[in-house]
Amino acid sequence: MIETLVRVVEAFISALMVAGLYATMSYGLALIYGVMKIINLANAGIMMLAAFTTLVLWQTTGLDPLVLVVVVAPLFFVVGAVLEVVVVRRVSAAAPIVSLLLLFGTWLVMQAFANLIFGGDVRGVRPAYIDSVVHVGDVTLAYNRIFVFVAGAVILVLLELFLRGTFLGRAIRALAQDREACALVGVDTKRVSMVAFGLGSALAGAAGCLLTLVFPFDPTNPFGVLQLKSFTIIVLGGLESIIGVAFASFLLALAENLTVTLSRPQLENLVSFVVLVVVLVVMPGGLAALLRRRRLA
Amino acid sequence: MALLEVRQLTAFHGDVQALWDVSFEVAEGSITTLLGSNGAGKTTTLRTISGILPPRDGEIRLGGERIDGVPPHRIVDMGVVQVPEGRKLWPNLSVQENLVLGAYGRRGRPERARTLRSVYELFPRLAERRSQLAGTLSGGEQQMVAIGRGLMARPVVLMLDEPSLGLAPILVDEVFRVIREIAAQRATVLLVEQNVHRALQIADTASVLENGRVVLAGPAKQIAGDAKVQTAYLGL
Ligand SMILES: Nc1ncnc2c1ncn2[C@@H]1O[C@H](COP(=O)(O)OP(=O)(O)OP(=O)(O)O)[C@@H](O)[C@H]1O
Ligand SMILES: [Mg+2]
Repeated sequence: MIETLVRVVEAFISALMVAGLYATMSYGLALIYGVMKIINLANAGIMMLAAFTTLVLWQTTGLDPLVLVVVVAPLFFVVGAVLEVVVVRRVSAAAPIVSLLLLFGTWLVMQAFANLIFGGDVRGVRPAYIDSVVHVGDVTLAYNRIFVFVAGAVILVLLELFLRGTFLGRAIRALAQDREACALVGVDTKRVSMVAFGLGSALAGAAGCLLTLVFPFDPTNPFGVLQLKSFTIIVLGGLESIIGVAFASFLLALAENLTVTLSRPQLENLVSFVVLVVVLVVMPGGLAALLRRRRLA
Repeated sequence: MALLEVRQLTAFHGDVQALWDVSFEVAEGSITTLLGSNGAGKTTTLRTISGILPPRDGEIRLGGERIDGVPPHRIVDMGVVQVPEGRKLWPNLSVQENLVLGAYGRRGRPERARTLRSVYELFPRLAERRSQLAGTLSGGEQQMVAIGRGLMARPVVLMLDEPSLGLAPILVDEVFRVIREIAAQRATVLLVEQNVHRALQIADTASVLENGRVVLAGPAKQIAGDAKVQTAYLGL
């Protein structure tokens, strides 16, 4: 009994640890969707390229991914901005399926590229502290997970400060709500869309960099599954707020962890799919709509 | 030379023509009104001037300089600012965020603290509601935010698209009082209205649009006395 309780508490805490990474990768998707009404199917590809970039930089410089993220995130801001100008902008007026297919294609190209350069072997970044743990009472926590959580949280707080405290950040939020009104107050909507796509990609880049510390990876895995998880998270948490995304990230991670703890590890990846389907069928507006309905009732 | 000149403007929505050779002028410091019934092309004219809808043909000049073909954000930087029909606020941003974003452009930004104070003086109610989400305001309050946001850009010409639409009579009075004050102290005004009676009372000059064409233009007093206008728009 006590042992089960400890395992549940452990599941809670490790859910929290993973949630930082989940929220970082999902918020980029939400940001881009909010501003451009485009689902960035290349998000997982960007994470994957960022993971390999981090691997190479770690091998050549010996610097920890927690340090490298300061370089990798801005690098993928540029990659995202270029992708927006070269690919996305051209189809922004077309039907949604066009950008969807184009970005899906971009993801496949990225995968092929990574396979060509790095091969299909499973990789990981293993700094000295990788196997170290800390005990809090009966609960065991791995250092790498703590670090990744803290890094993710710091990134999201910085982003939120930017979105709320600067003209450019406010313009990005406003663009998601009324584009024409933005043009009418002097916002260069094309440029700000580019910045938003860049920021979303930078978040995916940061997530890709950080995940090297916690997941083994190859050009395909675990990025496809993570993509699905991001969809689940933004459908659950909504596109409006970072809080919704963070909360949904935690809920999904918790559901996964409890499934692993109390049932079978093989079911972990099934959870996000089940949650996605249930959310779409039962509460189409996600958590936010559910809470709003509560408040009205 | 007029401050804003529109010459032979032709505009299309896709393949459908909405404006035919629309010409009018806005003199500096004046209130000019653009009248017409539903679908006459008033909003289309303002959106073309703002650069949202590129004209097919014709010229738009500000202080003699061509501004047609210039992107919308550059037009704001030149001082031509629009308070759009239906307000177009950002509902999930606070009142203050809506106002401050109005100062995004080159003219508004350096002055934003001072302009914000003066907008709150003009609309004390907005000062009380500064942290409320714009989407939760009443229609009248939203219109005040929209006008305030336009002023934040420090306009040379402020274009207002049906600012009194859907407001209670007492708020309509308030809006027209504010427009007078703007014209007297802050900017040249181009006013689009369906409230023809009130618009002609405060305007210096007026143009009447019908089916995308200017059918009548002149001093507001003269237009108000026109027999056709009296029967068609004033119900006299
Ligand atoms: N986005 C659009 N796409 C297609 N047609 C449009 C569009 N906007 C306006 N129109 C058409 O262009 C014509 C002029 O419309 P406009 O909105 O300029 O009229 P308005 O004078 O502002 O009318 P109202 O008083 O109802 O606002 C109308 O026939 C309208 O149906
Ligand atoms: Mg209109």
